[in-house]
Amino acid sequence: MNNVLIKKVVNIIEYFLLIILIISFWFVMDAGGKLNPVIMPSPSKIFHTFIKLLSNGSLLQNALVSLLRVLKGYVLASACGIVLGILIGLSRHLDRLTQLLVQILKPIPPIAWIPLVILWFGIGESGKIFLIFLGGFFTILINVIDGIRQADTKLAEVSYVMETPLLKQIFLRIIPGAAPNIFTGLRVGLTSCWMCVVAAELVSSTTGLGYLIMNARQFGNTDIVIIGMITIGIIGKVMDSLLKVIEKKVITW
Amino acid sequence: MSIEQIEDYVEVNEVSKQYSENGQVVDALKDINFKVKKGEIVCIVGASGCGKSTLLRAIAGIDNDHTGNITVGGKKIAHCSKEIGIVFQEHRLFPWLTVEQNVGYALDGVDKEDRKSLVKKYIELVGLAGFEKSYPRQLSGGMAQRGGIARALVNTPPLLLLDEPFGALDTFTKISMQNELKRIQKTSHTTMIMVTHDIDEAVYLSNHLIVLSSRPGKIKKIFEIELPEPRNRNSYEFLEIRKKVYEEFFEEATVQEDYSI
Repeated sequence: MNNVLIKKVVNIIEYFLLIILIISFWFVMDAGGKLNPVIMPSPSKIFHTFIKLLSNGSLLQNALVSLLRVLKGYVLASACGIVLGILIGLSRHLDRLTQLLVQILKPIPPIAWIPLVILWFGIGESGKIFLIFLGGFFTILINVIDGIRQADTKLAEVSYVMETPLLKQIFLRIIPGAAPNIFTGLRVGLTSCWMCVVAAELVSSTTGLGYLIMNARQFGNTDIVIIGMITIGIIGKVMDSLLKVIEKKVITW
Repeated sequence: MSIEQIEDYVEVNEVSKQYSENGQVVDALKDINFKVKKGEIVCIVGASGCGKSTLLRAIAGIDNDHTGNITVGGKKIAHCSKEIGIVFQEHRLFPWLTVEQNVGYALDGVDKEDRKSLVKKYIELVGLAGFEKSYPRQLSGGMAQRGGIARALVNTPPLLLLDEPFGALDTFTKISMQNELKRIQKTSHTTMIMVTHDIDEAVYLSNHLIVLSSRPGKIKKIFEIELPEPRNRNSYEFLEIRKKVYEEFFEEATVQEDYSI
């Protein structure tokens, strides 16, 4: 019993150790007067700014705006990625029809889309959501296609032998079989969406964490830049963990 | 339907199958002829690679690239149908469905009440009552295979094909599963054709035992086994037949042994 407890404590320490070490190192460097506040503000400065941004509500507000954008783009990307992925995965014809286009579009980074997006959507919300959508869509699509393709041939034979109707096969055999890949796509896709939010908010934005970072950069407020970065990182991590929990609940086998 | 037609339920006529390997034509099956009566258990015994699974897949209608004729219940087999149930070597249950759902998966176009009672009936028949809500990963190998048998039987097919169904089980589980299969057959009267490489299993289960030779896959001999039920695996008669079947496979080896000293 005691051993189990010790193991648990050790595991928790291991989990946080690297971050604690980095922050400690940062403190030491600061105490030694080795930090140029413009290039790397001290931890205490960052903490004070963090409290200030929290109390005046600007951090929360900008985080919320970004979160909402990410969610909109992500939900859109997930819906399109899953539905199209299933269709393409099931149909060789559809696969051949779409393959080349997908492969050419996939490597284009969302930032490269910005000029076109401004021309097409203007500088409003929809353009930003489109960019975030692009970030997640291809990742999700390709994982879903792979999952459907990798369907167990032995289980397929079982359905063939029983002459199971196609629709029943899709919902009871093919989609559950692809579920692990679909979830991988959803998790990697979510990360991609968060990576795109800053790019999306480069498009003449006055709100959001990306705006917060870029605006702070112009005024040399490195502390705010770092706080914005860490906030994105933490929200992304929390959402990924949430997805992991959902995955465990869904995939029980 | 006359009695004679029912008598010979499965007829395999002049079935041959060839495939080419490295440009050479290999006879996978050659001139296979046999009949199975309704309610019989027939075992096809052969070494691995002799084409016994190929033959079973042809009877099932999974593969159709053979010559000759296979009829089940007087009808020519052209594709799979719910009239023929199949149990594979692996249980092949869907990991994401419970036992109940797996068995129910085989049913199509059955209304809810019938579905429920059919699923219940066959889960009970194979001795899985109490495990309806279990997932395959929670079952032992033998129990999962029971699930596979229930799924194959739930459409009440008159013919059940078994492709080395107990090949992956340990000896003790295997023996109890063989007894179970006999019991199930007594209740359901299903005609069964089973492929196996286990001579004991085949002698214990079959009414007719077909010995298949390798390359070309040809019928070497058909034994009619008329042992009283329940069969005693250690009775003199049982061992006598077992020895005869054994000799079909290893007679050459015995001769060589005699020659050596």
